[in-house]
Amino acid sequence: MREITLSKAVNEAIAEEMRRDETVFLLGEDVAEAGTPFKVLSGLVEEFGTGRIIDTPISEPGFMGMAVGAAMTGSRPIVDLMFGDFIFLIMDQLCNQAAKTHYMSGGKLSVPLVLRTNMGATRRSAAQHSQSLHALVAHIPGLKVAMPSSAYEAKGLMKTAIRDNNPVVIFEDKLMYQDKAPVPEEEYLIPFGVANVKREGSDITLIGTSSMVQVAEKAAEILAKEGISAEVIDPRTIVPLDEAALIESVRKTSRAIVIDEGHQSYGVTGEIASRLNEKAFYHLDAPVLRMGAMDVPVPFSPALEDLTVPTPEGVAAAARKLCAGEMIHAA
Amino acid sequence: MPRDVIMPALGMAQDTGVLVAWLKQPGDPVAEGDALFEVETDKATMEVEAQAAGFLTDVSAEAGADVPVGQVIARISETAEGSGTAPAKGKGKADNAPAGTGAEDAPASDTPALPEGREVIMPALGMAQDTGLLVAWAKAPGDAVGADDLLFEVETDKSTMEVTAGHDGYVAALLAEAGEDVPVGQPVAIISADKPEAPVSRSAKAAPAKAAPAPASDTESAKAPAPQPAASGKADTSRQVEGPRPPVEAGGRILASPKLRRLALEQGLDLQRLVAAGYPQPFHVRDLDTLKALPADAPAAGAAAGVPAAQARRLTAHVAAPGFEAFARWAADEAGLGDADALLAGLAAASLRDAGDDAALIVGIERFGAERHYTDPDRPTLGRAGAEDPDGAPALRLRDLRGSLLGTVEMGAEDAPVLTLIAEGDALRLTLECAADQLGAPRAASLLAAFAGRMAQPLRHLL
Amino acid sequence: MAAKAAKPKTNSEDYLRMYRQMVRIRAFEDNANQLYLSAKMPGLTHMYSGQEAVAVGICEALTASDKITSTHRGHGHCVAKGAEFREMFCELLGKEEGYCRGKGGSMHIADQSNGNLGANAIVGGSMGIATGAALTAKLQKTGDVTVCFFGDGATAQGLWYEVMNMAALMQLPVIYACENNGYSEYTKTAEIAAGSLPARAEAFGIESFTVDGQDVLAVNDLTQKLVARARKGEGPFFIELMTYRYHGHHVGDINREYYRAKDEEAQWKTERDPIVNFGKWLESEGLASSDELKSVQDEVHADAEAAVKYALEAKYPDGSEVDMHVYAA
Repeated sequence: MREITLSKAVNEAIAEEMRRDETVFLLGEDVAEAGTPFKVLSGLVEEFGTGRIIDTPISEPGFMGMAVGAAMTGSRPIVDLMFGDFIFLIMDQLCNQAAKTHYMSGGKLSVPLVLRTNMGATRRSAAQHSQSLHALVAHIPGLKVAMPSSAYEAKGLMKTAIRDNNPVVIFEDKLMYQDKAPVPEEEYLIPFGVANVKREGSDITLIGTSSMVQVAEKAAEILAKEGISAEVIDPRTIVPLDEAALIESVRKTSRAIVIDEGHQSYGVTGEIASRLNEKAFYHLDAPVLRMGAMDVPVPFSPALEDLTVPTPEGVAAAARKLCAGEMIHAA
Repeated sequence: MPRDVIMPALGMAQDTGVLVAWLKQPGDPVAEGDALFEVETDKATMEVEAQAAGFLTDVSAEAGADVPVGQVIARISETAEGSGTAPAKGKGKADNAPAGTGAEDAPASDTPALPEGREVIMPALGMAQDTGLLVAWAKAPGDAVGADDLLFEVETDKSTMEVTAGHDGYVAALLAEAGEDVPVGQPVAIISADKPEAPVSRSAKAAPAKAAPAPASDTESAKAPAPQPAASGKADTSRQVEGPRPPVEAGGRILASPKLRRLALEQGLDLQRLVAAGYPQPFHVRDLDTLKALPADAPAAGAAAGVPAAQARRLTAHVAAPGFEAFARWAADEAGLGDADALLAGLAAASLRDAGDDAALIVGIERFGAERHYTDPDRPTLGRAGAEDPDGAPALRLRDLRGSLLGTVEMGAEDAPVLTLIAEGDALRLTLECAADQLGAPRAASLLAAFAGRMAQPLRHLL
Repeated sequence: MAAKAAKPKTNSEDYLRMYRQMVRIRAFEDNANQLYLSAKMPGLTHMYSGQEAVAVGICEALTASDKITSTHRGHGHCVAKGAEFREMFCELLGKEEGYCRGKGGSMHIADQSNGNLGANAIVGGSMGIATGAALTAKLQKTGDVTVCFFGDGATAQGLWYEVMNMAALMQLPVIYACENNGYSEYTKTAEIAAGSLPARAEAFGIESFTVDGQDVLAVNDLTQKLVARARKGEGPFFIELMTYRYHGHHVGDINREYYRAKDEEAQWKTERDPIVNFGKWLESEGLASSDELKSVQDEVHADAEAAVKYALEAKYPDGSEVDMHVYAA
């Protein structure tokens, strides 16, 4: 199978859906000729014109709000938010308007839009261009949240998102844009709420989101050499969450570590760990561990920034302790 | 009666105060309200007034010293010479510090008639314990006590404990009566340095209602009378036997994963046995095979599973005026029942049987290393049973140490519950020790209580 | 696109319809006010009374498929855009038959069948939505025009300037209709707005107008012209409609002399009432007799009372609906 970059996969997904459905359009800052700073959208304006690949001023709340209105009236807008950090600017439009319209209207109005943005640290971009803020969005009922972990995932999830009748936020890891993965030529969609077991194992379940799936896979490699069999699961979407698959895996392995690049406190790791505690408690042989990003603003200096995110070695070390029955935290 | 002068706690989070200067010299007469010394806290310098009239004596802190709050720095005495027993010097922990402000600084309305001295409080011994049952006083008002002397026995949800006086002196007041349930933190006694002229004895109900114990009395409880952990908190087996309440004390919890607990429950395995066998906690599923492979113990009467010696109960009873000796003489003279041990075994068997045990009972009497067994010594008539082969397994062993010099015993659980008899002058001390699953807490208590009653008044058994 | 144009309102039938719609809004609000004060209505509500000529003058210039976005003071827009009393009162009372099945309430009534994209409880919150609806109209060439209703208070929100900028750049068919009722919640507009509001729109190259918001004919006449131009791609436009709210900011805002004099309120009510004045005009022009107007009022009042009665007796939604409509299928 051919291998393409995550960037190319996203580009293909949007192009395919725009060809399929004339109501799909894309708007955001420097999305047309510039094709975004990450060049993810390069070439789209040539095919679809500036009428459907719409450059906006630097007015995130404005164009986000416009996307909501367009979605309510028969369009399927894709909003390009250049950095995930800017989500704070559009919170009212996303959380008070887009997320609630379907519910508040008793189901009469719907908001089929896609907000594609990014996440991920270690790009030396400091605290306002490095955040992973998906937990904020996942907290709001009415929004769906997809977190592709590879080019294959990115394409399939994007196409599903565009066809979904709800506001969907897709967080792409900005460090993965140039990562290649096998992506079929033929069309495919990845349904929401169906986790992907990336690697089967019997001793411990490593649940990772976005780039943390690769961290988990690398940790599993390390552990395999030591005779520890780790299962790696990618939930793919954290809203909806394939809780059943996670529980099934943990019932099998009795142990779990949840790895996510959002801040650890009040985050995705805590949510998933809590559900496992509630619903797989009597199958747990060790506490479910959370491994999120440190609870610090992302620092600029490489020497500091690299300390803030989970690493394969760190995950392997924690897994080793759990499997050995060592107490990681005081009982 | 000298009054202690204390470094007062004046700030919110103040641990010590700097004694800036004495405003009186040792031997000076002082009137209540006189400025006595200056103290500097984190906030300000303040003058501290004398709380009583008399003479400043026994000054133990010099100007410039940083003194822990609550520590005695001088006394106000009736004579310029003072008591001669200077309070502790130094700046360390207030080892010999007086009772907290509770006694000295309490407003007059609080305990108007109480003598001065150090409070002994009802200690909080359990995790979720609100009160303690004062079982018995070991001292009477006016008695001299040493710091390590047993002062009273207290019964909590777990066990009966002995509480020592904690201070040398005299029992100036007993503030609760035997049988009363006393809130933890509430003073139950006052130990005075001097022999009290009019020692007080009253009910705890007479105590003024007190809110949560003030921090000052916390200091007291912290250093006070370390209770002898009789039935130690280690026992966690009560939920497996007939214990009425689940254990709450974290120290007694077995650390095991939820999955292992579930599997053990499903397979009828007792994690306690891993503890007993000395395997390190926390336990996980991989310990399941170890648990299954443990040899099955031969538990003593009534035990469902092997129980380690460590999981023990220890209860004591005090029989102030035992009537057994006289009863035994009477029985020998009047009824021809010459084997006093058969009588003893009979009373013990009856006490055990009170709990509703109808099966044949063997009671062992052990004295100076030799043991004799009596089968059903309470049936059909007390004292008729003869001694038997010592090889059978007794349901209860009486260890008679009345002839020895031993004072207290804490032997831990054995293969059967052991009731030890120790003479204390004319009185008798009874100690019951057993594994937690040999006797449930209520049954152990009823056994000891019934036996103690029979030892006090054996004739009542016949009635 | 010409087919899209609403019929010019020139005949007596249309005038009477405008009169009736204004009376309906007033009657709706009077009943809503009573429901609230008598504790039969949960929550919070904001009365539109006094501003009827704005909603009616504008909405009578729109077709059913033209869109509006509304505000927390939105009952008038909803009625003017064609909503029924019964479903509106049901919504106000949280009943199953409400426009939003009781999930929105007073501040969130949406009536998609008449192009009402919903009231919005965030002041200025719908400015992006209105502009986006116009973007759909432009992209899909539907010919629809969107009117964005908002109050003078909302002009202080930054979102408006962002979307005006984009609407102007994209020439979107949107009309920003600022109902300047003189008060931003409990504060005089003069205290929160520097300079002139039309000048702000004009700074983006947007044609701006100021009109007497108590004169339904003036409002309707201007709106018809602007809607027609917007359909031709000459938008966006801005209208400042000078009007007055008879009640406080919300129903419970009774003691309001600290920010608004009673004399001022009395003067607007007696001299500038849009319904009374339009009725006089209809009579003076011989388009309707006072009896005819009276019978319109009686009919409307009877309708409103019947709808209130119906809504009070209507069912609440079943508890099973609580997690329904969080996500669209």
